Amino acid sequence: MDSITSKILYNEEVAPGYFRIGLEWKGVLVLPGQFVMLRVSDSLDPLLRRPFGIYKVLNPKWVKSAGGYRGSGIELLYSVVGRGTIRLSRRVAGDVAGLLGPIGNGFPVPEQSRNKEQKVIMVAGGVGTVPFYLLADLLGADSALLVGARSKEVLALVKDFRPLKCKVAISTEDGSVGAKGLVTDLLKEEIAKGGPSVVYGCGPLGMLKAVAEVSESLGVDSFVSLERSMACGIGVCLGCAVKGTEHAARPGRPPEYVMVCSDGPVFKSSEVEWSRL
Amino acid sequence: MKKNDNNKTGNNKAGKGVTKLPSMAVNVAGLKLSNPVMTASGTFGYGLEFAPYLDLSRLGGVVVKGLSPKPRPGNPGPRIVETPCGMLNAIGLQNVGVDAFIEEKLPKLRKVKTRVIANIFGESVADYVLVAKKLDGARGVHAVEINISCPNVKKGGMSFGVNPKEAARVVRAVRKATALPVITKLSPNVSDIAEMARAVEEAGSDVISLINTIPGMVIDIEKRMPVIARGIGGLSGPAIRPIAVRMVNEVYNAVSLPVIGIGGIMNASDAIEFMIAGASAVQVGTASFVDPQAAEKVVDGIADYLVRHKMSAKKLTGSLQK
Ligand SMILES: Cc1cc2nc3c(=O)[nH]c(=O)nc-3n(C[C@H](O)[C@H](O)[C@H](O)COP(=O)(O)OP(=O)(O)OC[C@H]3O[C@@H](n4cnc5c(N)ncnc54)[C@H](O)[C@@H]3O)c2cc1C
Ligand SMILES: Cc1cc2nc3c(=O)[nH]c(=O)nc-3n(C[C@H](O)[C@H](O)[C@H](O)COP(=O)(O)O)c2cc1C
Ligand code: FES
Repeated sequence: MDSITSKILYNEEVAPGYFRIGLEWKGVLVLPGQFVMLRVSDSLDPLLRRPFGIYKVLNPKWVKSAGGYRGSGIELLYSVVGRGTIRLSRRVAGDVAGLLGPIGNGFPVPEQSRNKEQKVIMVAGGVGTVPFYLLADLLGADSALLVGARSKEVLALVKDFRPLKCKVAISTEDGSVGAKGLVTDLLKEEIAKGGPSVVYGCGPLGMLKAVAEVSESLGVDSFVSLERSMACGIGVCLGCAVKGTEHAARPGRPPEYVMVCSDGPVFKSSEVEWSRL
Repeated sequence: MKKNDNNKTGNNKAGKGVTKLPSMAVNVAGLKLSNPVMTASGTFGYGLEFAPYLDLSRLGGVVVKGLSPKPRPGNPGPRIVETPCGMLNAIGLQNVGVDAFIEEKLPKLRKVKTRVIANIFGESVADYVLVAKKLDGARGVHAVEINISCPNVKKGGMSFGVNPKEAARVVRAVRKATALPVITKLSPNVSDIAEMARAVEEAGSDVISLINTIPGMVIDIEKRMPVIARGIGGLSGPAIRPIAVRMVNEVYNAVSLPVIGIGGIMNASDAIEFMIAGASAVQVGTASFVDPQAAEKVVDGIADYLVRHKMSAKKLTGSLQK
């Protein structure tokens, strides 16, 4: 992990309210599913850095021994939801911004987690597609991306996945794109197709909970990337705690709470006390 | 200022390229610091977490997360929320416990050339004494800081921090339990901070640090519920700085003990403001979340200021002009 001042290479709107920002970071090594803490401005208000998943690595080279991509920078994809992201959306190429990371464990990468036949089913809610781009690129046809969204904005979110070999399925609440309904219905169908699989989820809490439940009921392991308000991103403020189940306990630590930033953000669903989230 | 008031303490990295560096060293009631900049408890982990980002040996001291007799799991989440120029936290004093600190964290901290200050708390006077005694024998601990003021835990600090008699009771007991310098960290949540300061001075505290966080609340208007699970949290960050500077000045005028200024220090100018108000040293808190290198930058900035004003750190303390 490193703390750097990075140059903004580009910052552009890809769909109403969605931006992608390129940040210079020579030699950065990214594991799929990691995130950064980004200082959106030098002002004292908003004060804290904001967490964003790493979407892409610029000029990526797969480093097998590390299980990650090395590159010359990173790209983030963010939705504008409040004060910090509004400010961020106004920054322009050539500006500098404080970056801390790459942070977290990321999703288990294939060599570590599975045998060849196992399919990785990635379930994203809205901008929850972010941590899956690198994985989808890596796994290709061995993976499927299921995206649930409100409406047509989903087209901007899946655009970059289209050229990849990864299978993409969409559901929207209003039925304007893909199937009308919930992404967990797509998940049930995908699991029902058979063959060994593992499920990765990223998105709103309610969706993650449903993903964990559906996976468990169908006898499939699932991993989820959790979100919590964060101050430090390096495990010291103890602000991003979530309740873990008994066997989530780490040695030398009171077992009750795990930190999303330093123990996660990816957790095995069975290690999270969903009722306490 | 004496002509030969130059640096003799080996703190020569600060104020690069300057031949005559005014002394950065401060002696806070027996606690000798190479410079006046420490980190605030609860914002710097157990110190080592920051080793990748800054040179710990360049800090005057490191104050570790509050330690209790037994490990504590802390509060349910959400534990933090951002506020205008600040944040609220209700961590609930989660910590590894004093034994694990001594066995696992301290051996590694000993290898770093800095002063280690152990922040302690408890739910009874006996708790405080127990933790203080254990630390007294631990090599590598240079002082204890008594947190009588944490507003987060129902049964914990608050009752000691708001009542001069109770505060004095804890300080007196800890004073007896350890040979280390004793710093008492005051809560701002009182109507007369000078009275609190005098009470802990009389009880034998060597140093006073202040302020701890200020109780606050943020409400989610859609859910009509507090954002933080516990409802109330402690406010920190630049939003509290003017309150903290005022209280440091009041305490400086009320007692003869050295004072450590805490509250919303983001950069060297903020730290210098506290020193002018009467602080002999300062602690950098929330700023370390915003920028993990913040504390080291404060050291550099103070050095530059002292060079510019041809002044030692010691002389800066209480230099407020009327
Ligand atoms: C590990 C992690 C990875 C993330 N990755 C991405 C990403 O790739 N792209 C992206 O667009 N967003 C991502 N987020 C969410 C992003 O951090 C928040 O949207 C952002 O911090 C909001 O800042 P703001 O100042 O604009 O909003 P605020 O003014 O702080 O809040 C506006 C609204 O957003 C909600 N909000 C604030 N912080 C969060 C949060 N951490 N998680 C969820 N909701 C929040 C608030 O409750 C409020 O309703 C991630 C969050 C985490 C924890
Ligand atoms: C997340 C967090 C945890 C804290 N934990 C402790 C603690 O364990 N003991 C203590 O005495 N003070 C604790 N504090 C208070 C700080 O040490 C400091 O007094 C306060 O935050 C004001 O300084 P600041 O505005 O620079 O952060 C904590 C503060 C924060 C933000
Ligand atoms: S954000 Fe500080 S511990 Fe996770």
